[in-house]
Amino acid sequence: MEPAHGDDKPHLPPPSLWPVGFAIGVACILVGLIVRPLVIVPIGAAIAIVFAFLWARDATRDYRTVSVPEVEPERRPPRRRARAIPAHRGEAGMPEPEPGEIERFPRSIFLEGATLGFGALIGGLVTIPVLGPAIAEAFVRGKKHEFDLGPITNFPVGKYVITTFFTDPSEGTVSRRTAYIRNNGDSPKGPSFTIISNRCAHLGCPVQPNGPVFDNQKKTTHSRSAGDVTIIPALPAGFGCPCHGGQYDKEGNRTAGPPVRGLDRYEYLIRDGHLVLLKPFSVWKVNGTGANAKIQKYPLTNPGDHVHGIESWLYPWQPPR
Amino acid sequence: MSRALDERRAAFQRYKEDVKERGKPFYPYAMFHDTVMSLVVVSVIIGLAVIWKYTAGEDPNKPGWLGPLYAEPADPGTTNFVPRPDWYFYFLFYLLRIFKWPNTVILGTVGIPTVCLVLLLALPFLDVRRERRLLRRPVAIVAAILTVLSMGVLTYKGATAKESLGSETLAAVPTWAKRQGFENNKQALAGAKLFATAGCEQCHTYLGTGSSNLGAPDLSAIGKGQQAAFFSQYVSNPRKFGNPVMPIYGETFDKTQLDQLGAFLAASKGPH
Amino acid sequence: MPRNRKSARRQRMEQAIVYPLDWLEERSGLIGGIRYFLFRKVPADTNWMQTLGSATLTAFIVQAVTGVILAMFYKPDPNSAYQSIQHITNDVTLGWLVRGMHRWGASVFIILMFFHMARVFLFGAYKYPRELNWIIGVLLLVLGMLEGFTGYLLPWDQTAYWATVVGINLNGTAPFLGPFLAQFLRGGAEIGPDTISRFYSLHMLLLPGAIIGLIGLHLYLVVRLGVSSPPWSKEAAGADRVEPEPTPGRRGLLQPGARGGIPR
Repeated sequence: MEPAHGDDKPHLPPPSLWPVGFAIGVACILVGLIVRPLVIVPIGAAIAIVFAFLWARDATRDYRTVSVPEVEPERRPPRRRARAIPAHRGEAGMPEPEPGEIERFPRSIFLEGATLGFGALIGGLVTIPVLGPAIAEAFVRGKKHEFDLGPITNFPVGKYVITTFFTDPSEGTVSRRTAYIRNNGDSPKGPSFTIISNRCAHLGCPVQPNGPVFDNQKKTTHSRSAGDVTIIPALPAGFGCPCHGGQYDKEGNRTAGPPVRGLDRYEYLIRDGHLVLLKPFSVWKVNGTGANAKIQKYPLTNPGDHVHGIESWLYPWQPPR
Repeated sequence: MSRALDERRAAFQRYKEDVKERGKPFYPYAMFHDTVMSLVVVSVIIGLAVIWKYTAGEDPNKPGWLGPLYAEPADPGTTNFVPRPDWYFYFLFYLLRIFKWPNTVILGTVGIPTVCLVLLLALPFLDVRRERRLLRRPVAIVAAILTVLSMGVLTYKGATAKESLGSETLAAVPTWAKRQGFENNKQALAGAKLFATAGCEQCHTYLGTGSSNLGAPDLSAIGKGQQAAFFSQYVSNPRKFGNPVMPIYGETFDKTQLDQLGAFLAASKGPH
Repeated sequence: MPRNRKSARRQRMEQAIVYPLDWLEERSGLIGGIRYFLFRKVPADTNWMQTLGSATLTAFIVQAVTGVILAMFYKPDPNSAYQSIQHITNDVTLGWLVRGMHRWGASVFIILMFFHMARVFLFGAYKYPRELNWIIGVLLLVLGMLEGFTGYLLPWDQTAYWATVVGINLNGTAPFLGPFLAQFLRGGAEIGPDTISRFYSLHMLLLPGAIIGLIGLHLYLVVRLGVSSPPWSKEAAGADRVEPEPTPGRRGLLQPGARGGIPR
């Protein structure tokens, strides 16, 4: 039996949807076998058999009857007989419209505008999640600043001690900080302390005490807010920075080198006989010493940024800390 | 302007014709050179890695030829560490040490580097001549030599910039005692230890250690012809002797310590 | 005649090699591109100094490969970074080699970039029409040094931590927006765990992506615009050919124009 319309061309079955039904039937069989309940299997088998019969009947129609072409014939006349050329010769890419082909009528302009507009909208929508964690997070206000450094009796009067503590004990060593603390004794306003940060005001290097350090007299305490607190007596005649040679006196005023202001200090309060450190702040100059010091305070400023004088106009804003 | 542009275009056209007539294919002629050079680069990198591993130890204090395998773990609360950047930033680091005055800090941190970067980016628009032969580009040659020299000098000075670290200088005291001959002088030894940790070497040099700042003199032979009492009084209050810069150590150290410092300085008569 | 006849076996072998290449070429055009890159003409007098660019690329590839391997073991958290580096150096098979190659490869990469820049400057190869390529090269230099800066923090030892403190505060001294830039880099008011993750992300993802993109553009321009000859070369491609002016009133031994112009 040969197909009715011709026997030199390969047999192309007409398009039909029966194979889809057959596939659904086979899928039901497999689902029934694997997922259970098993009752689905005979249902799937029945579907498959029915659709297989219909499919086969359709596909062999040409062998049984005179075939009517199911597909609309091409109406365009055949092109001139050109040799088939490989895909990458001739125009390498897909054909573009000629300049005159794109007619500009209102619908096209609307489509252009909508495309660009939606593109901008997508760009905006994607940028917002980026801005949040990358930029805004860095400026969210920090945690509470309250660090219990132990009883004030640990701080000898009139002498500096190197105090290390943790601003967030759960974070570990990365939150370790150092301050130079001197107990100035009692004053009309209560116990007075000079608490100087060890970050240089030039570029943030760790400032060293210019004097002997008595490691063998180290004391340690522990508190929930400040973790392990170590207190080491020292005898500094001033403070010096190893990076670029900045020098400070015993009140933290700059005496030599590139630092642009004095060393930062910490606020503090006394609670139940314990010294509690609060927020740090920046200092321009300190006049006087110890309990009588007059400190010219500024909000906490980045190292290297001027706080006083004309150069401070270059740094009008500081980010929230 | 457009005549210059035409000349440039014509020159580029000639270039393309010359290459077409007399050029050689990239592979294998030029690519051979590239491959040899790349092999050298990879060998150098592997060689450095091997030398680093086999000459350095685990101990940060035993550096080997190429530095230790690790430094100490990071400690944000340290008080005895001298920070340094990676070597290719030494020129910027030393630039910061040059600008010692607070009002000029911003020049060293952002001013000069920004200007240099802008000049570098704008180079093709600053030099629009077609001339490429070196001997006919005097400005280019001078600029290149000056740049290489200054970056080299800045990098070298940055590499050799030393800061006195109390704990390191303390370890040098026995050597000082030997060279100056005060091993048996207990006062002088105690004074030397104070001198090493009190930060004096941040402005004074002594027997090759320390740095020179603010006009402070070298103290290796300061003891010649002076008594200990003179030095004790000087250190106690330099202002009385006309020194406006040095800190007034009498406010910090007690008489015993000042006497020890005086003994040490008097014993420093220069190495024998 | 006998030379033109290849044995049938050899012909079949050649066909086997050429067939997949042709398959690829017909569907993408890539083989043609690679062929053009390999066999394009360059001036015959190219110098050894002109290998510095590809040497820099090799150093970058070494960095990328060793960096990927290190990232399989490194932990970007302040409490485990240092130990993970110790683990790589001491325990991982040939981990010490990969770490050493990455660390010293960084220095070699930066040195080669400077040498390459100097060579291009001396050759005058930043002039028309290669200005754009020079600008891309300077951007690559800046990005490379930023890679070095961000990577330096990752071992989380003392040198790393303090060099980064100073570097970030340097940015903070820029007028007006400096302090905000410093806070953005730090990921907060002080260096903390967020800082190391931030630097890790920049070092591994953003900066290498930008560098790879710019390198692609850089190489495309080199292939498109051509390699320049050394300026001192006698047969420099594209050099001017100047006709000597005939000196008035001087005839005799020197016959201007007799040789039809002196090629430079």
